[in-house]
Amino acid sequence: MIEIVLFAMFALTAISCALGVVFHKNPVHCALLLVAVLLSLSGLFIMLHAQFIAALQVIVYAGAIMVLFLFVLMLLSFRRDEDVLTPGAAKGFGFLFALIVLVELLWVALSPGGGERGAQTPAAILSDDFGSPAAIGRILYTTWLYPFEITSILLLVAVVGAVLLAKRKFSG
Amino acid sequence: MTGPAVPLAAYQILAGILFTIGVIGVLVRRSALIVFMSIELMLNAVNLSFVAFSRQHGSMDGHIFVFFVMAVAAAEVAIGLAILIAIFRKRETANVDDVHLLRG
Repeated sequence: MIEIVLFAMFALTAISCALGVVFHKNPVHCALLLVAVLLSLSGLFIMLHAQFIAALQVIVYAGAIMVLFLFVLMLLSFRRDEDVLTPGAAKGFGFLFALIVLVELLWVALSPGGGERGAQTPAAILSDDFGSPAAIGRILYTTWLYPFEITSILLLVAVVGAVLLAKRKFSG
Repeated sequence: MTGPAVPLAAYQILAGILFTIGVIGVLVRRSALIVFMSIELMLNAVNLSFVAFSRQHGSMDGHIFVFFVMAVAAAEVAIGLAILIAIFRKRETANVDDVHLLRG
């Protein structure tokens, strides 16, 4: 019972704050509302026995990435636009396409699904260390070792590229 | 041990709704920064879906996927915001409607 109440609380917070992110006029408020969405999602992750991912969500997303957003926001000093939405027919088509996406996603989520791993299968019984940092580290450094190493190269490329792009002028 | 009280479909519906809100943000907002935030919203909706399926199947591969999605999102934000700063410095605007050099 308490699980359902918690789910409803986190879900309503996430949806209402996400709507705020998309429709609020002030970009700083949008960023702070996005932090609220990320925090409520990390609460849902804990309910799904993903403790490590929940901690990562708070540290990496709500911590690092959102600080980067706010930093750029302050740096560029955006003025408050009165018309935040794109004008004309593009807006109508945007809402239309979003509606189509929503219908498709809900149809997939609610369809019964087939196969032996379909949505009808009962939830698995979890082992005690499911979602713990130790268990994730074990498969991350064995099964997923090569993708992990490639990710580190990707992050290095991103750092070099970001420094190069944000530099004021190319010297020489 | 009984199963989880909240069914998998509830998490999937929530993820779908959040993803759609992100799509709306990308399509109708003019500020490039808010478009980036909406992309983060979509990535997080997908992460929620991954974690919910992980819980359902008792396999931690979904958690690993979320880990990689976060790493790619961090790289994407760093590069994207750097591009945004470069555009803002050159054209004094961050509206996606005003940056249309490729329109021909």
